[in-house]
Amino acid sequence: MERPDWAPADVDLSRPSVARAYDYWLGGSHNFEVDREFARQALAAVPDLRLVARANREFLHRAVRFMLDEGIRQFLDIGSGIPTVGNVHEIAQQVDPDSRVVYVDIDPVAVTHSTHILAGQPNAVALLEDLRHPEAVLDHPEVRRLLDLDRPVGLLLVSVVHAVPDQDDPYGLIRRLWTALAPGSCVAISHVTTDSRPDEMGEGARLSGRTNTPVTARTRTQVEDFFAGLDLVEPGVVWSPLWRPESSADVGEHPERMSFYVGVGRRR
Amino acid sequence: MSDRPAADGLDDRSRPGVEEFVTAWATALHRAHYVPISAEQRRRIVAGLADRLVTAVLAEPGEPGGGRRIGTDLVAAGFGSPEALGGTIAVIGSRFLGELGITADPTIAARLNRLLADLAAGFTSAAHDLSLRAQDTVRLAALAARTQAEEALRVSEARFRRFATHDQLTGLPNLTLLTEQLGRLSAAQLPIDRVGVCCLDVDDFAAVNDVLGYQVGDLLLREIADRVGALTDRRIDLVARLDSDRFAILVRDTTCAGDAVKIADQALAALAAPFRVNGTEVPLTVSAGVAEGTVADGGAATLMRASEIALHWAKADGKATLRQFDQDRSNADAERYRLSAAMPAALRRGEFTAAYQPIVALRSGQLTGVEALARWQHPQLGLLSAARFIELAERTGLVVPLGRQLLEQACRQASRWQRVQPGLYVSVNVSVRQLRRNGFAGAVAQILDRTGLPPHLLQLEVTEQAVIDLTGIVTETLAALMKLGVRIVIDDFGIGYANLANLRSLPLHGLKLDASLTRSSAQPARRPGARRPGTDDDFLSTVVSLGHKLGLVVTAEGIETAQQARRLTATGCDNGQGWHFGRPVPPHEITARIVAQQHHDAVSPGTELPALPIQQR
Repeated sequence: MERPDWAPADVDLSRPSVARAYDYWLGGSHNFEVDREFARQALAAVPDLRLVARANREFLHRAVRFMLDEGIRQFLDIGSGIPTVGNVHEIAQQVDPDSRVVYVDIDPVAVTHSTHILAGQPNAVALLEDLRHPEAVLDHPEVRRLLDLDRPVGLLLVSVVHAVPDQDDPYGLIRRLWTALAPGSCVAISHVTTDSRPDEMGEGARLSGRTNTPVTARTRTQVEDFFAGLDLVEPGVVWSPLWRPESSADVGEHPERMSFYVGVGRRR
Repeated sequence: MSDRPAADGLDDRSRPGVEEFVTAWATALHRAHYVPISAEQRRRIVAGLADRLVTAVLAEPGEPGGGRRIGTDLVAAGFGSPEALGGTIAVIGSRFLGELGITADPTIAARLNRLLADLAAGFTSAAHDLSLRAQDTVRLAALAARTQAEEALRVSEARFRRFATHDQLTGLPNLTLLTEQLGRLSAAQLPIDRVGVCCLDVDDFAAVNDVLGYQVGDLLLREIADRVGALTDRRIDLVARLDSDRFAILVRDTTCAGDAVKIADQALAALAAPFRVNGTEVPLTVSAGVAEGTVADGGAATLMRASEIALHWAKADGKATLRQFDQDRSNADAERYRLSAAMPAALRRGEFTAAYQPIVALRSGQLTGVEALARWQHPQLGLLSAARFIELAERTGLVVPLGRQLLEQACRQASRWQRVQPGLYVSVNVSVRQLRRNGFAGAVAQILDRTGLPPHLLQLEVTEQAVIDLTGIVTETLAALMKLGVRIVIDDFGIGYANLANLRSLPLHGLKLDASLTRSSAQPARRPGARRPGTDDDFLSTVVSLGHKLGLVVTAEGIETAQQARRLTATGCDNGQGWHFGRPVPPHEITARIVAQQHHDAVSPGTELPALPIQQR
């Protein structure tokens, strides 16, 4: 018998979680040995993976600040992972304490941890949902409670789209998400690629097959295609350090080694 | 994060070179570790720490624990990585004294070394605590996630179980739950030993759906569920919807079948009130089957089946009624089913034979013909008479090939008898189904051809029912048979609803009076002046003369005594048949009788042959 659609996800602590490995790469301790073992294997394949993770995280923060500058005060962060320092609601609420943030992740441990961190936060919530079910996310009562979909929303898809394989129609899913948002909404995407380091990143992607969220690396054109129908803001789809850096010192000599294509699009 | 420098550090911060040192430290930290704050915020934090560092190095006698707290605050500000500590030590070691223009005398150098050692210890200790806290949090999160998942699983299992055990339309338990409950009762751990099952089924519900649509049908089913569910008898254990329009009531603590019947009657009464949908009354009737018995030895499950069997009886007996399960009737049903199922193979194996019963001319007592009667030589049950299986064969249609086989056997046998008694005819029953088939007359012609029996020596007996409603094909078949020269007689005359007009228009040869007319009935009370036939004999005479007036040969069946034979002879009836003249027997006994009669005729012609001893098989 097929599992009915209301059956919950299993919590399997014997498999490494990318969310917790990501926390380890960023220097966090919210992880288990099984995660660290996977994270160290990935580090062996990609020795500067910590920098890659950091550059991606920095893009998230710059993108959020950009959207705040655009006047956006409500965020939907899908694939939010393990909350570490500098979460979206912290950054947004520094600018406007009334900013609202919904975190969504497929990892039940990440979500319970986030819920714990967000205790006492009336304007932020974490939900266990799947990017592959956009309507379930958009129609979630908590989303409807916190976010006003008639006003612009910052949709953050940072280091998550590559977890959706082609057969699950990632292009269609993302389009279904942003078409439900008001004009003026912004979509930030960061996506793993093997374009610049085919061997090392290819090995990293292969290793991700051990986790619940294997990676599908995509080319620049494929990443650009995610923004079809949106107005791509300057500088377009670029290597993660090159997207509106705060100083030239932040860019480094080889931005392509950071192996993430990133970009922000605006809904007309 | 507000990290205002200590008031006493104001002077030190204005020292030349502090700005350069702060820049170098902040850059080292930023390179070592990412904290999502602006460069300005980062600089402010580092400036505060640098002030405290200056104070700690220059103050007399030196602030105890000052270095340790700098290390702790570095971690608290988010710079907790090993690289941040390494960068800090490197920058302080290489740049601090130089940038600030402090002379590295041995006291200062020793103080700075101690300060760095304290800073490293404070940093490590804080980073360690932070790690432990993070480990606690993530472990608790994992635990909570697991508990939540288990809870969600329980909820979804409960929902799934409800989905699996309840009917979605009416919300009533379904067959699965009813079966489970019966199983629990059968487990006999409960102080209960008898239960009843009442099976309810809406009559012709398919028509409601067809004519009024499924939405109306669904509304009616909900209404039915509500009414049955509202019954309050404390012995009702469960009301279930089994499938589309079938419901069941499980009754417990019964003492006898009557208890369960009472509940079923209550349900039928509740369902007898008119049903209204959108202001229109929808006429509905319901049938019920009831079974009651002990639950021991898994009997509860068989009760379920028994109630459904009883429901079938209620339907077969005209619907809108209640039937109680009865083992004898069920056994008989099962037996009939087994016979019915065994018949096709039996036909192939040639287990069906004909027995022949004498037909005599009443006036002379001479054997003039025989009626061929079907017999089944059943391998287990022995010889079965037609009454046991012909009706089943009619129902399944097997009567058609069976009838043809018997007809051929009979014709072949009669053809043989022509050698010992020329002119002896054979009378064979033909069912309505056979008559309604195209090509029956052709098949008869072929059989006559193959067996060599002259057509006029074959008599086909058809029932009144067969000719009451003369459809085209039956008329054509009868006409074709007549044309062949085959004789047609009406069988069992007088008990059906014969269309007398047909008697005149049909090409008939004769009538066979039903045995019930032959036997004398109780004398009706005579009322003076009542205009009715005085006696059975008067009645019989009237019927016989009716036949004769129509030019028909009249044969009386069921003659069992000499007295009956005399009475019928007196009415002018032509032929007689019945135990008095001989039971149905195998063909060789008929042959023996013919031979005996011919011997008798040669010795004492004109007298009646005494009845043969009854042959039992």
